[in-house]
Amino acid sequence: MPALTDRLRAEKAADIVRHAGGKVVGKTRLQKMAYLLEITGLGAGFPFEYRHYGPYSEELADGIAGAYFWDLMSEEEHTANWGGAYSVFRASSTAGSARVNPARREILTLASKANPISLELAATAAFLAKENSRDPWAETSRRKPEKAEKYLDDAKILYSKLREIKTPKKMPAI
Amino acid sequence: MSYKRQRIRDPLHNLIEFPADHFHDAIWRVIQTSHFQRLRRIKQLGFSEMVYPGATHSRFAHSLGVFNTARKLMEVVERHLERTSDWDTTQSQIALTAALVHDLGHGPYSHAFEDVGRRLNLSLAKHEKVTEALVRDGELSEALKTLGSGFASDVADVIANPSSARIYGAVVSSQFDADRLDYMQRDRLMTGTYHGVIDFDWLLSNLEVGRVSVGSDEEQAGEIETFVLGAKAIHAAETYLLGLFQLYATVYFHKATRGAEKLFTELLTRVIDLSMNGDGAKTGLGENHPILQFASHPDDLKRTLALDDAVIAGGLVMMSLSTDSVIADFSSRLRNRRLFKCIDVREVLSQKLRAKFGKVGKPKAAKRSNAAMEAGKSTRVKMKKMDALDRACDSTEKRLLEFTEEVNRYFPRVLLDKGERSIYKRIEESKGPLNQIMILPSSGDDLPVDVASISQVVNAIAPFKFLRVYLEEGEQKAKQRIEDILDEEAKKCRL
Repeated sequence: MPALTDRLRAEKAADIVRHAGGKVVGKTRLQKMAYLLEITGLGAGFPFEYRHYGPYSEELADGIAGAYFWDLMSEEEHTANWGGAYSVFRASSTAGSARVNPARREILTLASKANPISLELAATAAFLAKENSRDPWAETSRRKPEKAEKYLDDAKILYSKLREIKTPKKMPAI
Repeated sequence: MSYKRQRIRDPLHNLIEFPADHFHDAIWRVIQTSHFQRLRRIKQLGFSEMVYPGATHSRFAHSLGVFNTARKLMEVVERHLERTSDWDTTQSQIALTAALVHDLGHGPYSHAFEDVGRRLNLSLAKHEKVTEALVRDGELSEALKTLGSGFASDVADVIANPSSARIYGAVVSSQFDADRLDYMQRDRLMTGTYHGVIDFDWLLSNLEVGRVSVGSDEEQAGEIETFVLGAKAIHAAETYLLGLFQLYATVYFHKATRGAEKLFTELLTRVIDLSMNGDGAKTGLGENHPILQFASHPDDLKRTLALDDAVIAGGLVMMSLSTDSVIADFSSRLRNRRLFKCIDVREVLSQKLRAKFGKVGKPKAAKRSNAAMEAGKSTRVKMKKMDALDRACDSTEKRLLEFTEEVNRYFPRVLLDKGERSIYKRIEESKGPLNQIMILPSSGDDLPVDVASISQVVNAIAPFKFLRVYLEEGEQKAKQRIEDILDEEAKKCRL
């Protein structure tokens, strides 16, 4: 697939927020939403690699920055009670989002309501499965012990729900 | 089995010693591999030597320095874990090896080559991917075999995901990782600049292991151990952050260095693109030249590794004879340091706005957030609003993008560049204590706090931003058009 141009990257990044109802809480969440769309055949062509929070796309991060530049999206930064910071993204317009692919909307809706840590773990397990890990859930626990201890079961339930959605490409069975 | 002690002289660390033991014997064999030796042919700072002639140091020297620094950091980890009898020598050796080989996958002129990869969608232009492949398989994993059959694979895992290695991973990736501690000192030394001096010994002497909270977005996950600094190192921490910040402004983002990188990116993109489309003969390079060999199979690891700074620099003379005017011109420019002229758009706009308003003004949102922090409020909301200069730059950039599209249709005459650096490392996703410098309070058992919450100096620093245009020296018409755009945008701007 050819690389996306800067402007197109920005539009595709903003589209995710738009199609999720106009608001997405968290950069990690936004990255994982985009990843789920890619592996289900509903994405825009963002390439992903493994980083600290699981599947991550630098092109998407550039697209988010471009979306501010082109006034397609805004960002507010909040302080979390655990000492970190998180972002709230708002699309400048939700026009045309009614015509979005229903499976895409379903994935985005489910992901936007999910616990961000469960979503991160589910997307990580999917990524590891795609990379031919023998036991993606065990590997996810090994890589993220401080998160898996409390959230792995919830992540597995979320994964099953995501996998039930009828998508052009099925998420890996794990 | 007997081992031999080895020593290397280094301009920064003086003697880097490899004691006569099993682990260092394997490390010495890693250094002898062709993949590690290749780093001698990749400069740490790419085109910076066009500005700072001394900055010709290689990633080979840097990697050895990272290993030496990592051993010092690991002593801090060992002191901490020995108290709880939790020390694991194998884990520490895996992390130390990861620190040594972390740069193996860099391509020619490192980050500029990654820009080419982004434009042409070349997956092996990403150095992380190449590093991982090299460590997992082949010559390097062979050299590490004496340390265990899964050792090389564990090293690759730590490089891909340092946090999975618990506190040992902080040596490889954290705010105080060995990579940054070496390159800050080495780049400063080799460029000759006096910006970026850090109090390394004091920092190290005050470095401890502490527990910090981690989470994703708004949700807390738990606590993990990482490096934190004792209260007496607050000023050294400020100097460290400021030093890095100034190195970005004066070295890494220097306008001439970036100008050379822009020419390189255009040149190599053109060469690879032509070759991929069957026009390799137009590039001036012979069909067996490593660049064309790579272009014909960009997913081939061996061909990717055949590329380095020396190969590119050596090919410039042939490319200057190319029948393609862009390749002929840009290769000749790079060879003779005849760079495009730079217009510092942000600086010009800043001067115009200052003349118009008397001052440019600080973003209102930033004032609010500082005030909220001073008042000790636990929650703050920072709207990413922009000041007048930011708005003028954005508006100008949009027009310049249109202009470059029009003027560059047949030849890249006008090149646009922009960038930004905050005092903290670029945040990838959720922000948290692992991305920050955490300071232990001087009293009691309180948890470490972010340096920005107690340092007025750090808290006050706005990001360094630039927006620049590069153009051929004879492009008077384009230059006039750009100046007109800048005048119009400055006139249009409101406070």
